[in-house]
Amino acid sequence: MAVEPRDSPSVGVDEWVARSLERREYLPGWRGDVQRALEQVGWWPRLVVATAVGVFIPVVIGLNSFQTQVGIDALLLAILALGLNVSVGWAGLLDLGYVAFYGFGAYGYALLSSNQLNPPGGIHWPAYFSIPLVMIGAAILGLLVGLPSRRLIGDYLAIVTLFFGEAFVEFTNNVAPSKLGGPNGIFALDPLHGAHVQITTPTGYFLVLLGLLVVSMAVLHMLDTSRMGRAWRAVREDPLAASAMTVPVNRVKLMAFAFGAMIAAMAGTIFAAQQTSVFPTDFDTPYLILIYAGLILGGAGSMSGAVLGGLLVSIVLDGFLRSPTQSSYIFYGVILVTLCVKLRPWTRVAFVVGGTIVFGFVMHAIVAAFSSSAVAGTSGAHSWIDLHWAIVPANPVTFGNICFVALLCLVVALVQVPGRWRTMLLIPTLYVAACAWEARLSQVPATTRLLLLGAILIVVMAWRPSGLLGARRVEIV
Amino acid sequence: MKLGISLAAITVTALVAAGCGSSSSSKSSATSASSTQAAGGGSGSKSCTASIGIEAPLTGQVAVLGQEQLAFAKLAIQDDNKANGTNITLVQGDTQLMPAQATTVTQQFISNSKIVGVVGPAGSQEVEAVGPLFGRAGLVFISGSATNPTLTSSGKNPTFFRTVSRDDVQGPEDANFVVKHLHPKNLMIVDDQEVYSTGLVSAMMPIFQKAGIKVDHESVSQKVTDFSSLVAKVSSDTTVVVLPWQVAANGQQFGKNLAEQHKNATIVGTDGMFSPSAFTTPGSYVSSFGPDITAIPADASIVQAAKTAYPKFGTFGPPVYAATHVLDEAIASACKSGTATRSSVLSAVKQTSEPTSILGQPIHFDTRGDLIAAKWFLFKINPQGKYTLVTNS
Amino acid sequence: MTKFTQELVNGLTQGGLYALVALGYSMVYGVLKLLNFAHGDLYMVGAFVGYFVLQWFGGPTALAVPVPIVLLAMFLLAGGGVGALGVAIERFAYRPLRDAPRIAPLITALGVSFLLENTMLLLFGASYRDYNTSAFISFSTGIHIGALNIDIVRIMVIVLSVALMIGLRLLVSRTQLGRQMRAVASDREAAEMLGINVDYTISATFFLGSALAGIAGVMAGLVFNQIYTLMGFIIGLKAFTAAVVGGIGSIPGAMLGGFLIGIAEAFITGYVSSTYTNLIVFGILIAFMILRPSGLLGRVQLQKV
Repeated sequence: MAVEPRDSPSVGVDEWVARSLERREYLPGWRGDVQRALEQVGWWPRLVVATAVGVFIPVVIGLNSFQTQVGIDALLLAILALGLNVSVGWAGLLDLGYVAFYGFGAYGYALLSSNQLNPPGGIHWPAYFSIPLVMIGAAILGLLVGLPSRRLIGDYLAIVTLFFGEAFVEFTNNVAPSKLGGPNGIFALDPLHGAHVQITTPTGYFLVLLGLLVVSMAVLHMLDTSRMGRAWRAVREDPLAASAMTVPVNRVKLMAFAFGAMIAAMAGTIFAAQQTSVFPTDFDTPYLILIYAGLILGGAGSMSGAVLGGLLVSIVLDGFLRSPTQSSYIFYGVILVTLCVKLRPWTRVAFVVGGTIVFGFVMHAIVAAFSSSAVAGTSGAHSWIDLHWAIVPANPVTFGNICFVALLCLVVALVQVPGRWRTMLLIPTLYVAACAWEARLSQVPATTRLLLLGAILIVVMAWRPSGLLGARRVEIV
Repeated sequence: MKLGISLAAITVTALVAAGCGSSSSSKSSATSASSTQAAGGGSGSKSCTASIGIEAPLTGQVAVLGQEQLAFAKLAIQDDNKANGTNITLVQGDTQLMPAQATTVTQQFISNSKIVGVVGPAGSQEVEAVGPLFGRAGLVFISGSATNPTLTSSGKNPTFFRTVSRDDVQGPEDANFVVKHLHPKNLMIVDDQEVYSTGLVSAMMPIFQKAGIKVDHESVSQKVTDFSSLVAKVSSDTTVVVLPWQVAANGQQFGKNLAEQHKNATIVGTDGMFSPSAFTTPGSYVSSFGPDITAIPADASIVQAAKTAYPKFGTFGPPVYAATHVLDEAIASACKSGTATRSSVLSAVKQTSEPTSILGQPIHFDTRGDLIAAKWFLFKINPQGKYTLVTNS
Repeated sequence: MTKFTQELVNGLTQGGLYALVALGYSMVYGVLKLLNFAHGDLYMVGAFVGYFVLQWFGGPTALAVPVPIVLLAMFLLAGGGVGALGVAIERFAYRPLRDAPRIAPLITALGVSFLLENTMLLLFGASYRDYNTSAFISFSTGIHIGALNIDIVRIMVIVLSVALMIGLRLLVSRTQLGRQMRAVASDREAAEMLGINVDYTISATFFLGSALAGIAGVMAGLVFNQIYTLMGFIIGLKAFTAAVVGGIGSIPGAMLGGFLIGIAEAFITGYVSSTYTNLIVFGILIAFMILRPSGLLGRVQLQKV
């Protein structure tokens, strides 16, 4: 076992055996002790601790409105990834129309909590009534969408669900504009209310979402360890064998769709209540991509992985990458950490970092000797870097673009060349990266944000193909 | 799985870091706009420092519109810093024209205490989503492209202003021009399934119907780039096609498709199509609520600078320049009588009274935030693809 | 009848482009079982390469050399350049994941797609660029009978896309490389044991598929004129649809699927309702997929036990 690289599938071993083998492979030294100590703690106590931390942050430390908003976005994405995990991670059904259930929940809440239906007074049902109703509706819709899964497998199922997702957006955009609002959406919704309580503050929504996340996790954990959970995994691994073992395959698949849909719709209702408005564009494919990114980055099949992935994607994307300064920290920080982790021994790290610094000063001096305007610019954020080290011309756009393209080429080349050359090539690559960042990327935060998202997705998947907390893949021959 | 929950807890802790940083980030993110502008001919001895946020679709399907707005906002800040001796910086927020993202960006701006005014958001549905948040924070926001009438008439957005005319001003003017001067018997109107477009269509339809014109109402997604199947539907006695669209390049392609299929219908575009560089189909009409700024002598220097910053600009930039300019002036005047705070800037914006502007018309707002006496201009595109003024009011 | 023919031509033009992009999707899926969501973005890059070649020859209104040479250069450079880009992407992003769970490369593909779209946005800005084809290929050339007007560019697109598909079909069924591709598609390990250079074959597949997308991008520029950095998103979805509807992994299936979707869209827009075009097309496709679960020409998969 120890000989095989970590991410190759364990051939001929089933999931439970693989899991227990993995458990025996503790990390060396004190990290192994920590791991062992953590394992002594059960699942439930850990959930309680995580919840306590979640409550502690906004209530005791306090967050400003932006931080709370990012927290709300992150919790929403975590709940959605958790729900998606039921169909994709557990039952192994690629559901590309998942975001439509989220939209269904939001629109359902919107219609039941606004003046849209039954004018002039509209319908204003309390949340404890409307949310369960919407969730039941979503579960039924999930069953209907899941029906083709009786006949379709794999990518054929994916495309049918994708049609469903697209059709939802087209539907809300075009059908019955007087009721669904068309592209104008529905606004002026009631906040969450019922039984003399009304939630209007962002912190309130943060706590509601946290509560729902914890409840969903608890329910799903019980499901996961129940008959149903085992049936789902059996169907994912081998439907034929599962049905031979008397698992009702079709019913089990439909249940996965229904549970996923219910959780998504629940997230949708809270989203609608918090935004007090819903619009078709919020439930389009770009958001679906984020949910998938969260789930798979965290590790499909693992509940805590899904939650972690959802939180991470949202916090990185909205919390850090929106501000140029923090995306700088992420950019340089990730590079440094990667160097330290990937380069062994430490003398090589020192060589590369030192070499890059020297290389920079030399290049800067050479360029400055030829033309002073070529180093006259500043990117503002890090004047100490571009004053003497990175090259930032007075008109940095073209130069920055060239640097960026050169960076992409160098990175691709870096993967191809063998060991020693790679270390040498790292030095100019790092320097070009810094120049591209200072001259161009830090000036266009919106574009850079998505560029970095793309890079993070590629790097994380190459680093851990089964996700951050995903279980090792098992291949039964 | 086992290690997972504890890791999840750590992630939640990262939330704190996300936020703790953001308060400090306001300081440095702002500097990214430009730090070389402090040296202006200042009137006061102490420098007037503040930030303006911009919410626009800087990436995504309609980045073409947001990037133009960003270029003009930068330009306005550069010009006004020089003129007023202020040190105003721009903080960028990308919304991708999605209300949910606009909400997050709005909260980011609200928690950044340096920001005293916001330009944008671009879309009416975004304004609808974020208006109450800005209202509660007492933060003024001026959109250069949100045209839905209810934004100001509903009274839910007390700090909202706009430097464009409303759908119910522009729509009827355009429709009346079509009825009175082009006399179509049959007409096709195509919406692009976006708020701007559907709003204008519903403002125009009653006028066409009252005039007894047979209207074929079609609709096509903004993301589509081929209109040949729609053009094949234009019957031979349809003489006018009304396109209330925001992406001028799509209008240009519609014109190409008409020419390709030898159809003689005339395109009438609304102000979203006004783009002397992108929409140049000869014989078409385009309306606008401002004159062609490339033809205003007073705007020559701005136009020159805009052409370098954003070569193919159209209708979305100038109103944002005007909006940013209004904020700049408000900040400068607030500085004169103390410091620029959110409330002082808000009240200064309310009292805005500019006799001229980049839009070729005076700027002052009514109590609800609409531009007073928004004018209406109509251009015809000549065979060389140049815009010529036909009529105005 | 005129309108019918006109809509048919419109549908065939759009369908030809869907089909070309779908072919690349289907080929890559065949050898790697990977849904390459970045494929639509390669189409976009192709359109931009073609545009810059056009500019290099003097721009649409002042071409320095005869039009056929310009067109040839546009197609060759876009095809070759985008093909090479596809190979680079495969080596850099997908190769490390060849033994990973099937869903992992999906996320990598999304990452590649973000990178391509936003790199182009960074380098060339958000403005639409105009091929302005009618300035160098006049609308008066082509077929004009009564009210029926078919532009020569449309004819060229339809003919060229069919020709490319036939060429590809021949390549896959008749040549050594084609045999290798089929061998890798049916069982990679067995192919490797038989001495087939799997890496080379996969690279070649990526080159061909990406080159087709690049050429399709130039064609899109020529017929639809306006190009922009996110133009690949929609066609990526449509091509994925076409590939699956045709039976994923099947080359004639992808062609058929592409043309069918293009024609269906044109006729529904022309005869039923432009507002509900997408909704109706999706509805038809869902019904179709349920009735024929493995697509038009897809084989029913045998399960290995």
